[in-house]
Amino acid sequence: MAVGATTGALLWGHGLWQRSGPEAAQRAQRAPEPGDPLTPQEIAAASAAATSGFTEHMAAGSLDLLYVERDDDKAATSRRAEAYLYDYAHDRLIVRTVDLGTSRIVAERAASGRQAPPSQREEARAAVLLLADPKLGPKVRQAYATAAGHRLGSAADLHLQSLIYPRTPCEAHRCLQMFVRLPGGRWLDTSRIVADLSAKKIRSLEW
Amino acid sequence: MRPLLALVALLALSPVPAAAAATTPTCGEPYRIDRTLPDGARWTMCWEMRNIEGLTLTQVAYTPKNGRAVGVLRSASLAQIQVPYDSGEPRYEDIGALGAAAIPLRAQDCPGGERPDQYVCVTTRPRGHAYFKDEPYASAQGDDLVVFSAFQVGWYTYLAEWAFGDTGTITPRVGATGSLADFTTTPAYGWPIGVGRHHFEESHSHNIFWRLDFDIDGRSGDRVEQYDFSGSGTTRRTMRRTALTRETAAVYRPMRWWRVVDYGVRNADGHAVSWEIDNSGSAQYRGPASERFTHADLYVTNYRACERLASENPTPRCADSVDKYVNGEVVRDPVVWVNVDFHHVVRDEDHDPMPTHWQGFHITPRDVTSTNPYR
Repeated sequence: MAVGATTGALLWGHGLWQRSGPEAAQRAQRAPEPGDPLTPQEIAAASAAATSGFTEHMAAGSLDLLYVERDDDKAATSRRAEAYLYDYAHDRLIVRTVDLGTSRIVAERAASGRQAPPSQREEARAAVLLLADPKLGPKVRQAYATAAGHRLGSAADLHLQSLIYPRTPCEAHRCLQMFVRLPGGRWLDTSRIVADLSAKKIRSLEW
Repeated sequence: MRPLLALVALLALSPVPAAAAATTPTCGEPYRIDRTLPDGARWTMCWEMRNIEGLTLTQVAYTPKNGRAVGVLRSASLAQIQVPYDSGEPRYEDIGALGAAAIPLRAQDCPGGERPDQYVCVTTRPRGHAYFKDEPYASAQGDDLVVFSAFQVGWYTYLAEWAFGDTGTITPRVGATGSLADFTTTPAYGWPIGVGRHHFEESHSHNIFWRLDFDIDGRSGDRVEQYDFSGSGTTRRTMRRTALTRETAAVYRPMRWWRVVDYGVRNADGHAVSWEIDNSGSAQYRGPASERFTHADLYVTNYRACERLASENPTPRCADSVDKYVNGEVVRDPVVWVNVDFHHVVRDEDHDPMPTHWQGFHITPRDVTSTNPYR
């Protein structure tokens, strides 16, 4: 399949990162050179190939595509992409390498207890978990309303960012340490909680 | 001039076609950087905003004024920013999907430069005196090509900057600005900011790792050497060279430096082309046994595509930190990991927006040109 022929619809279907938006799409008019970043079309093609066989798991929320990175292995002779997937049901990180010339998976590595950085979709889910927490959710809403002067519209309004928290109690689970900047620039103190995406709940840290 | 000598002289002055082809970056607009500095030196490279490492520079090549192009780095990027607080917790690892944390740059954030993308600035910056002497009078000013991006990670804004000098120097550094975390602690772990002695803001470290895949005119032939100069309280200093032929975790000491050298690539004097690494500006943070990646200041590993970050490496079925990449393998294609640490004991001056504090190291050409690269 000629990757340039793929439409942008696939990309949006996977809800990938905004950076692959209109600006990048416009640039993708020419065929990529070997050292170029992935084009939106290539990301879409690699996403489709890498998630084949996982559609039901993804729909059920037990597995997700985190992001697609250009494979920069200098021994590689063809242009390739690495798709990062996380299986929350079995707590496994899966990296599938896709040959962009053939749109086929040419390698797969998977392991438990290994984490890749959070994706933006995961951060959106962490924000939902935070607001759904019976104790913390109301406090977050109150802090937001006080800072903004109006009620929180949706979880997306928190613009939550995160890092992986790999230590106790999250050695086996995928946990996000969160940062939330309220309107006006003040930060919520989220330093002692994490969003456990494997258990789908907020956990407290003891230190 | 005899024909053979004429040919040698021509080769010394002109770009060698084979090498030039190897140093032409295989990327197109807007990802290709090709900048000739006012002095005449030229740098070429590709940039990419990767999801995990953020700003990544590949296929970096340097052409001295009147010289030939030489490949320097196959790839260069940040490889971790660990931020442990002095009381022991919290301990953040700030990479982080840096690509998604990139901050759009405005025109004033990129003075005198261009933004090939809203997240990347490419500019030229004066560097002061290139040389200066009184008799016979000679004076010139130097310049750096600067490539940088900014990332918002929690409270901090990180400025990831690479400066490429007209003499072939490379100066990677990271500035931390933005806001303090506002963690209050006891006097043993912090410094009072604000009025009186109530709010002790917690001291912390930024332990930054860079990954540098040197390929001096291609991936073959590169070696790493460590240089030490023995003698303390004595009149003599004796040079000792140690070839790091196997993977190594090296600790910095005063009067110690390293170089990546390719004995198959020579300057016009017949000396091997190399780049020297000076990591004398680190606070040398050493974490607990569970963070052994913090226990050395420079690591040399044999190239493996799966070894990407100094800790929390995101690749399954690959070691998870740089100390474990070092496992006795013979180094045929060296990757150098440089660890520079900054201990931030907060001051009153660090109130919002916190003034930028910088940390980085120096990479200096050694025998890339056979004479002053400005002449």
